[in-house]
Amino acid sequence: MSYFILLPIVFPVLSGIFLLVRGEMKSRKNLLAVTGGLLVITALLAVLALAFGRGEMLLLFDLTQTLPVLFKIDDMGMVFAVVAVLVFVCAGFFSFEYMKHEAHERRYYGFYLIVFGILMALCFAGNLVTFYLFFEILTLSSMTLVLHSGSKEAVMAGLKYLFYSLCGAYMVLFGFYFLSHYANTLSFSEGSVLNPDLTAGHTGLLCAAAFAMILGFSVKAGMFPMHAWLTAAHPAAPAPASAVLSAVIVKAGVLGIIRVVYYLFGASFLRDGWVQRVWMVLALVTIFMGSLLAYREPVLKKRLAYSTVSQVSYILYGLAVMDGDALAGGVLHVICHSLVKAVLFLCAGALIYRTGKTRVDELRGVGKEMPCLMWCYTIAALGLIGIPPTGGFISKWYLAAGSLSSGIPGFSWIGPAVLLVSALLTAGYLLPIAICGFLPGDDFDYGKLVKKEPGGLMLAPILLLTVLSVLIGLFPNAVLDFIRQFSAGIL
Amino acid sequence: MDFVQNFPFFSIMLSMFSGTVCSVLPRKAAKWVNTIVISVVSVLSLILLVYLIGKKESYVYMMGHFPAPWGNEIRAGVLEAGMALFFCVIMLLSMLGGRKKLHDEVVESKHNMYYILVNLLLSSLLALVYTNDLFTAYVFVEINTIAACGLIMIRQNGRTIEAAVRYMIMSLLGSGLLLLGICMLYDLTGHLLMSNIRESVHMIMEDGTYRVPLLVTITLISVGLAIKSALFPFHGWLPDAYGYSTVSSAAILSSLVSKGYIFLLIKIIYRVLGFDVFGMSHIIDVLFAFGLMGMVFGSLNAIEENDIRRMIAFSSVAQIGYIYMGIGMGTQAGMTASVFHILSHAATKSLLFIAAIGLTDVSGGSRHFIDLTGAAYRNKWAGVTFTVGSLSMVGVPMFSGFISKLLFAQAAVQNHVKMLPALIVLAVSTVLNAIYFMKTVIRIYTPAQEDKYESITFKDMKSYVLALVCFIILNVILGISSQPIVDLIEQGLSMFA
Amino acid sequence: MGANLLVNYGEAVAMLLFVIGFTNLLLQKNLIKKIIGLNIMDSAVYLFLAEKGYIEGRTVPIVVNGVQDVEAYINPIPSGLVLTGIVVSVSVTALMLSLTIRLYRRYHTLDLDEISTRLKKEGL
Repeated sequence: MSYFILLPIVFPVLSGIFLLVRGEMKSRKNLLAVTGGLLVITALLAVLALAFGRGEMLLLFDLTQTLPVLFKIDDMGMVFAVVAVLVFVCAGFFSFEYMKHEAHERRYYGFYLIVFGILMALCFAGNLVTFYLFFEILTLSSMTLVLHSGSKEAVMAGLKYLFYSLCGAYMVLFGFYFLSHYANTLSFSEGSVLNPDLTAGHTGLLCAAAFAMILGFSVKAGMFPMHAWLTAAHPAAPAPASAVLSAVIVKAGVLGIIRVVYYLFGASFLRDGWVQRVWMVLALVTIFMGSLLAYREPVLKKRLAYSTVSQVSYILYGLAVMDGDALAGGVLHVICHSLVKAVLFLCAGALIYRTGKTRVDELRGVGKEMPCLMWCYTIAALGLIGIPPTGGFISKWYLAAGSLSSGIPGFSWIGPAVLLVSALLTAGYLLPIAICGFLPGDDFDYGKLVKKEPGGLMLAPILLLTVLSVLIGLFPNAVLDFIRQFSAGIL
Repeated sequence: MDFVQNFPFFSIMLSMFSGTVCSVLPRKAAKWVNTIVISVVSVLSLILLVYLIGKKESYVYMMGHFPAPWGNEIRAGVLEAGMALFFCVIMLLSMLGGRKKLHDEVVESKHNMYYILVNLLLSSLLALVYTNDLFTAYVFVEINTIAACGLIMIRQNGRTIEAAVRYMIMSLLGSGLLLLGICMLYDLTGHLLMSNIRESVHMIMEDGTYRVPLLVTITLISVGLAIKSALFPFHGWLPDAYGYSTVSSAAILSSLVSKGYIFLLIKIIYRVLGFDVFGMSHIIDVLFAFGLMGMVFGSLNAIEENDIRRMIAFSSVAQIGYIYMGIGMGTQAGMTASVFHILSHAATKSLLFIAAIGLTDVSGGSRHFIDLTGAAYRNKWAGVTFTVGSLSMVGVPMFSGFISKLLFAQAAVQNHVKMLPALIVLAVSTVLNAIYFMKTVIRIYTPAQEDKYESITFKDMKSYVLALVCFIILNVILGISSQPIVDLIEQGLSMFA
Repeated sequence: MGANLLVNYGEAVAMLLFVIGFTNLLLQKNLIKKIIGLNIMDSAVYLFLAEKGYIEGRTVPIVVNGVQDVEAYINPIPSGLVLTGIVVSVSVTALMLSLTIRLYRRYHTLDLDEISTRLKKEGL
């Protein structure tokens, strides 16, 4: 038995609990040192598990006769796990500086580590029960990050997040009840697990179940019409927490949908059905609407939250097309969007931290004050828009290409058109900040400018993530080949 | 006959006599007699359970010298022994958890009374579980009611007496209907022993005569027991009774007393009427519908409530709705799920009551939500336990609540007519559950603005913490290794038939 | 149907009484009247039982003059049940009455709803 794949799950959870339970540290420095050490160890353990654990399976125990708690590292899980580790470590180090002025730091780091562990468990979950279990725990533990500040808005946002997510989870459970009756097994396996003898004549019912599950997971992924929690939760949470929330926790919903569609029901079961059509419509509506709302939104973090709504639905659209290219583009967009959105949120955090400004129109001239930060922001913004040679370009290219070649009547060309319009809107809501930041205009009082560049501990994670997001755009082939290789197997 | 077969009789008699003995003992001694008797009875039930699992069949135990169909009988199968064991364990833990609180809430001179009532309650519960005679069941139902009423009013203030009166009135209505039902059944069949009645009922069904009286009888018995076990809409007495009595009483009442009646109903369904006969009557659909309504309205009431104890009490209404929904599905799987939910809910609800008292104690005795802010920091153990209980009620895997919901859903999928309403209401009620339990958990973990109240440390509450830990372990065991328990329940139900 | 009612008039009366008692117990506001309703309800059941146990033209089930033929006696079991039932109902009535006295001493009223409203005012 390969118990070592449990390490990156158990270790951060235990160390998080340890942080929560033990009393105050002697000084803030000790706390940071301990947390930093724990984060690095967790990352190393995760790398170890990923390096040696590929394809490993671990059956922990049986919940009931037919429902074992099962862990398995497959290629899809690996992609998500790598992204999670990167973002978590970077945002974690970023928060060492950022959280200086927030209260209850120890609690924050404790839950941060727990969420990290739970997320790794989600990536490694080998069947639906395990996934559902950790999905619920993820909601509960990440909620504490949202309501961290304890202000009324934060608590309301946390509750909103909780109720949306729980409603989503119960929709999943609703489908799960049906699936457990009609499937051979609930373990994730390439292709379909449905039992053809049982399903005969119940296709309509199972389609409804599949739709409920997709919808349930898409709550977490912020798909219309259940996206409202995102825009409430992000501004309320501390910036590094929103970075994590937006970059990886939202992706847990995406992973859930991938698991349900490609590893349980099977693409062939859902292809060309009403489920796929409705799903595509919802995804496209979300893409367009998210961008439009972001365009009109004056508060920076809220704008980024709307942008997440829109961008994650790019991924969902790619999954809904159920075509090799689109799927690869979608998975690649998971990586690109995670890196880029983490950079953007961390930049927003740094801006708020250094200047205290939260609204977009207040940010004139910030590029002069903190050039390095704003350059990172600009590069990330270009990546999100999809301008070559960034990673966003590659993933959106594949999304559009896949959609065109899928041959689904109507959608095959409406899809790319919506993607294009939304990309324009993305440029419209992200770039003006950079432009006004660097070129505040003639009437701007240059005398007031002071150097406000954030410290190294804040800048380094942002720089690292930016460089990675550029690298993935310059050399996409290694990643893309890997993705195409395993995604061919599940279609 | 093996000696072990005497154990049900011993358990009933032991708990009943110890009640009598408690009245003349000094207070401390009464406490210990009570604890020891409950422990001994649980050990006896455990031995009986192991014996029955090995033997793989139930047996009938003749009380006195007259054989059936005249004498009185006890019957023990896997399910009966398991239930007895479970009831004893829950009662022991509830008593342990509320022991310290008893001193604050009940005047010293009444403590002996309290132990008498608990023992009496235990004996009547055991008798309900084991008896094979309908009229004996009725008598013990009344004894159960009287003991429960005593447990409610032992803490003397206006509220509890009013609650006790309301409880008595509803219970008496219920037992009146039950008594009439039993009399009519006797009239129809000429027997009082369950097995004999069942044969006669079969004959009646085959002949096709007396259909209407039989239907009336089934209705009377079901409605009577439903009233007694607080099925929606007969739950009016419940929040006051559970909300204001002493904490051990609330835990015992919610997790054992109402469950005893439900168990009796299940027993009557299987052993007296026969599962098919009951399934054919439309009363089963009525129970199903009321169960569904209870699930929704109980939760809605709980959401409105600002008092933590009353909130938990309303949640009981919802959970009893679950159990009746399972019974109402009319399938073997539904029944199994219901029996499992009896266990799961008993374990969770008593845990919640006991944890809630720890939280209110460190909030100046107030049960209002606003005062509970930050209570989980002041009493860490109670906070953790309450969270575990809430997660279980919400249906997070690893805890017992998830398994019972899963079993209900699996049962629902098998019945094509009732599948959709059952699943939808299950989902809705789970969301509602989540709303009020998570609201509470967040409230108790929100740091208080000012340190108005004192925290409590581990040293001051050793027995309380022990009870909490045992409850958590029980809950997790039900959640993780449910399969053997479900197998046992299925085995027990097949022994019934 | 009508003929059956006439033959079993005893049972019919019992049922009528049961309904009267049940409604009283359920709907009366006055606690004493509720308890009276309870007693009517219970008595109705005993009447029903006694009626069921009695067989026209037979005698008490006690061996007199050496007659041991089963056909000679009425069914004794319902009588036993009635006795047990009376014991139960007496104890329940006693309990209810004691509760009523407690409430009356505290609130000087027998109206349950009024007691409830007063309790709410007390804010207990």
